[in-house]
Formats: sequence, C-alpha cells, structure tokens
Amino acid sequence: MGSIGTLALKDLRLLGRDKFGLFWVLAFPLLFAIFFGSIFSGGGSGSKIKLAVVDQDSTSQSRAYIEEMQESDALAVTFLTLEEAEKRVRQGKLTAYVVLEPGFGDSPFSFFSGEVPLRVGIDPSRRAAAAYLRGILTQLSFKQVEKLISDREASQRELDRVLAQIDTSSGLPARQRQLLKDFFGSLSNLVQEEDTSFSFKGNVAEGIKMEAVTRESDQTTPRSSFEIFFPSAIMWALLGCAATFGISIVKERTGGTYLRLRLAPISRAQILTGKGLACFISCVVVALLLMLIGRLIFGVRIDNFGLLLLAIVACGCCFVGIMMAISVLGKTEEAVGGAGWAILLIMAMLGGGMVPIMVMPSWLQKIGVVSPIKWGILSLEGAIWRGFALSEMLLPVGVLVGVGALFFTIGVLRFRCSEF
Amino acid sequence: MAAIKVNNLRKQFNSLVAVDGISFRVEAGEVFGLLGPNGAGKTTTINMLVGVLQPDGGEIEINGASDPTVPEVRRGIGNAPQAISLYDHLSAEENLAFFGRLYGLKGRTLAQRVAWALTFAGLTERKSDRTVTYSGGMQRRLNLACALIHDPPILLLDEPTVGVDPQSRNLIFEDIEELKGQGRTIIFTTHYMEEAQRLCDRVAIIDSGRILALDTVEKLIEQYGGTSVIEADLVAPPDDPDRLPGHLEGTHLRLETDRPLEELAHLSESGVRFHRLRVDRADLETVFLNLTGRRLRD
Repeated sequence: MGSIGTLALKDLRLLGRDKFGLFWVLAFPLLFAIFFGSIFSGGGSGSKIKLAVVDQDSTSQSRAYIEEMQESDALAVTFLTLEEAEKRVRQGKLTAYVVLEPGFGDSPFSFFSGEVPLRVGIDPSRRAAAAYLRGILTQLSFKQVEKLISDREASQRELDRVLAQIDTSSGLPARQRQLLKDFFGSLSNLVQEEDTSFSFKGNVAEGIKMEAVTRESDQTTPRSSFEIFFPSAIMWALLGCAATFGISIVKERTGGTYLRLRLAPISRAQILTGKGLACFISCVVVALLLMLIGRLIFGVRIDNFGLLLLAIVACGCCFVGIMMAISVLGKTEEAVGGAGWAILLIMAMLGGGMVPIMVMPSWLQKIGVVSPIKWGILSLEGAIWRGFALSEMLLPVGVLVGVGALFFTIGVLRFRCSEF
Repeated sequence: MAAIKVNNLRKQFNSLVAVDGISFRVEAGEVFGLLGPNGAGKTTTINMLVGVLQPDGGEIEINGASDPTVPEVRRGIGNAPQAISLYDHLSAEENLAFFGRLYGLKGRTLAQRVAWALTFAGLTERKSDRTVTYSGGMQRRLNLACALIHDPPILLLDEPTVGVDPQSRNLIFEDIEELKGQGRTIIFTTHYMEEAQRLCDRVAIIDSGRILALDTVEKLIEQYGGTSVIEADLVAPPDDPDRLPGHLEGTHLRLETDRPLEELAHLSESGVRFHRLRVDRADLETVFLNLTGRRLRD
C-alpha cells in the first residue's frame, strides 16, 4: 500500500471510531429517508397508498379497472361511499379516494382529450403522493386501453363511436378534428386487418402514441415516496462526509498531526489526495449502503445500476471538492464546523435536500440550479426512477464533477496559502 | 564532522522577525540545546531545519544536503513536535505503524520497529489502548517514539517535556540519554535550563531570534554566570574576624567568589564551623539573566 492508501486507511479507521461523525454520515440520512419516506407514503401502511374507490359507473370496464387497482402493489384499496371516503381523507385515515364517474366505461379513449371521467380526492399537502398516484392511475388506464384494443370487435365498436363523436363535436378546431379523424381512422383500418399473423395488441401497445404515454407514466414517476427521499438521504450522507472530513483537515492542523505528516517523506499533494480518497471512499460506500437498505427494506427499485454507480461516483467527486473548500473556511474546528454546516444547509435547502424540489415553488426551483445537491439528486433519480439514458446523465454528472474540481482547486490554493 | 550546519538563517512573519540571522553547527553524535524563552524563535528554527518553513535567507545543511524537503533527507530526521501530535483514536501501536508506513517501513521491519518503539516508550502493555486514554507523560513518550520509528540518525526534539509531571520528565530525560548513548545527533529546544544543563553538550542561548551565546554549559557559566555566593551562619564568631574573606555581620558571613568549593575548603581548614550554609552557584538561568536582563520563564 502506498502513502496515499495509508493516509486514506487511517482516515477511514478514524471515521469508523468517530460516533458523532458516523451519526451524520449514516444514521441521520437513514432516519431522514425513513421518516420522510413514511410520512409521504400515506397512511403508514408500508409503501402502499391507502385509498378508497367509489364506483359510480358500475360497468364491466370500471370493474376491470378497479381489479387492476387491487392488483397493484402500490395501492391498498377499500370500497366506500363518496361521503365516507371524503370524510376519511379529511381525517387523514386515507391518503386519497378515487371516483369512477358515470361514463367511465364508455370512454376508454377519452384520455386522448384529457377528460377522463375519473376524479381523485387527496390532501393537497401530500403532493408527492398525489404525483405518485396520478402516475399509477394513468398506467392502469393504459392497461385498460390495451385490453380493449386486444378485443377486435369491441375496439372496432368503440372506434366507430369515437369517430362519430369527432364528427359531431362542435368545439374542435378543423385541423385538430382532421388529425384525430386520421389517427382513429388509421386505427380502425388496423383493427379490420385480416392478416392472421398480425399481432394487434403488441403493435398498438408499442405504437407511437400509446408507447410514448405509457413510458411517461411508467418510468418518470417515482414508484414510492422512498424513491424520492433515499436520493435526498444520500445527499445528507455526502454532506456529512464532506463536513466530517473537512473538519478533520483542520483538526490535523490544530492538533499537530499535519505537521508530522509534512515532516514525513511525502508531498503535500499526497497528503491531500489521501484525505480526498478517504472522503471519496466514504461517500461511495455510504451511498451504496443507503441504496442497499432502500432496495432491500423499502422497495426502492433501481432502473439502471450502471448509471446509479456513475451518479454516485460523480457525487463523490463533487463532495470531495466541497470537503476541501470547507476545510479552509476557518482556522479552528469550531469555525470550520459552523461555517461549513451553514453553507451545506443552504445548499441542501436550495437543492431539494430538505423538501423534494418538485414541491418547491417554481422560482425556488430555478434558484436551485446553483446547488450541487439539486444535480446530485437529479443524477441519482435519473438512475433510480426517471429512466435517464446515458446522454441525459451527462449534464448532472458533468455539473457535479465540474463543481467538485472547482471547489477542490479553490480549497487547495487557499490551503497552501494558509499552511503555517 | 558536522551533521547540521546553519548559516545566517532568517525568517520574518509580517513585521515580526522570528529568526534573525542565526548560525551554528552541530557535530555528529552531539546533543545541542537551543535554550530560550517562549517566542525566542526556537520552534521556527526547527521548522526551517525540517523544511516545513521556507527561510527568508541563509543556508541549511543536513548531512551534507542543502534541501531538507528532499525525501531522502527527511528519512534521516526524526522530529518530535512541541504539541503532542498523535491520533487520539488510534492506539499507540496503530500510531507507530501509521507513521512507520509513511517512512516506507513495512512487513517484519515495521513490526520490529513498532515493538522497539513501544518498549522504548514503556507502552508495550498498553499498546492497544487508544492514546486518548493515556496520561500526559505517556502521550509525550509516544510522541517521542513516533519520531524514532524510522530509526533516524538526527533527532529534533521541540520542548519534549512540556506539561508533564516530574516523574515522566525524568523518564524522558533517561530516554534522551539513551538516544545520546546510541550516538544520535540531537537538537533539543527547551526553556528549562536544568534540562539543557543535564542533557546538552553545547547550548545556544537564543532570544528574539538571535543567538546571544553558544558554548558548553560550563564555559557559558564561566563566561557569563558571574560569581557564586556563599552565605553562612557560623556556630561562633571567629577570634579574628579580619582573617575571614567576605563580609561578616555578627555570625552571618556573605562571600562572593569564582571558586566556591575552594573557599569552603579553606574556611573549613581554618576551623570555621557552620550552623547553616548556602551556596548560590551561577547556572544557565543566571547566564540568561545576565545576557538579557530577564528570566527565562518571564
């Protein structure tokens, strides 16, 4: 093991024996994820959203839709009257109620016009749960349409009805009317196709309009509130790492061990690289550990593990730089600890580390771009549930690495100026 | 052969002149003391010798090399800083092994050096305890042992006994005498004149960044210490007071002399009997007082 490895191992060993540091690096982020994940999961029944269903349509389609809801792992469904459902939501005993209004079964294609006869009642403070529920309901709607289309006769009847509705509709602009007629006309021709080798269901499900909407609802919506709060928790863990190692640099200087390191036959660059390596390893290990806990205990699903690793490595690089910059904010542990945490908390506030960025007002979301926390969360979410491609990951990852490099350079330059 | 040569070394921090053109040389195997009050420039001199401070002027030569930042030169130097520079939450064994690895030790060599250093510091039985649980004296001894882990021929000890109890101080003295016996070259800074007097072959008295005097302890006292003072209460007044040297008042005799032992022997031979006797000999404290007009621990 070289000098850098020796230095890093020493710092990791010291971190392992520092109960206070470990609390901020691991225990607090985990508590954060569990606490907020549970609050926003709605009703406290694991990660399921507890809701009541009011079936005012009572058609075979509405019943089929409710069956899909009951089969969903994300929903805990009960049947109530509308009054009782409203009351329970108001009392906080249920997260939401869903009303399948009359006409639901007659209009399986109505989602194209955005007028689905389906109403959701939810506490406005549970915005994350609302977004999550909306995604699930949309997904179930698409499943229903898929089923309908797979029944050739039923879908032909429905398409004829929709074409007639388009012809008689008075409010549609001429161009939009023609586009809809062309689309549903083409769909009708497809349904009439006699080629027995043609797999109707599969092709429509993968067709342009269906595919695009399905993908939107399936991959760009968090499947549970834990998928929102575990990335935030990882950011808290990395903040803890940056603060702990930043303070440890000052501690080395005030405690005299830095002088002893400088007397050894190693360079200043090796000393700082060793410290950075220890911080980086800590960041990566705690991030992976939190994700493992999230995956095994709280059902956080990871869309792309390779991209998750990339995001974690980028976050690690960023927080090594932040650690270095924090270490030169003062000459004592108290000064660096105070100033460092103040800056880190502001970063967390702006970047969505405290409350999810999706529930922030738009002006605050715009300001949030200056915080590396925002980019860290985005990169992690990109790999966990946003369904980012590698090309989409490049921006957040590039920002994180760039910020890390900038802060590290500033930190090293200031460190050299104030060495002794 | 000189192990360390310093010529016209200077260092200034803003308007404060910390080291103002000091020069000295330390022979191989010699224990050299830098004696001066706090703020005299001792630690700054040490830090320049080991290359963590860049001098504003002057030359340093250590074992023939002019740049102390070169790793090979650093491997030949052991430094015990004034502050206890240990990792509190590592054990003595872990601290020693860590610093040993930084000096390139590994495997059996490292294990042997760690074992030797633990024995030297008297910490073998507590080698696995975290250093935060050690007494001040134990931490001081470990601080010294960490400077020796790579077996350097040159040792720089910056106030190695500050803040320890008399028993631990005595143990450290014995440690340093053992190191001296091994033929190591030692530079030793202190503001305790009795330490310098006991341990050092030569002493440089330093104040305000300048060397005021440099020689063996005996020669410094001889040159700058002034006379010794004998004060005695006699059992009975002498028959012939005029024959006694010094000043006699009743039975109280006060005598200033360069040769106190000879004078006492002479008085005894003359039949003078003492009821109470006190001899104030000149020491490095007196030397410092005479050179600067103030006491070492002011």
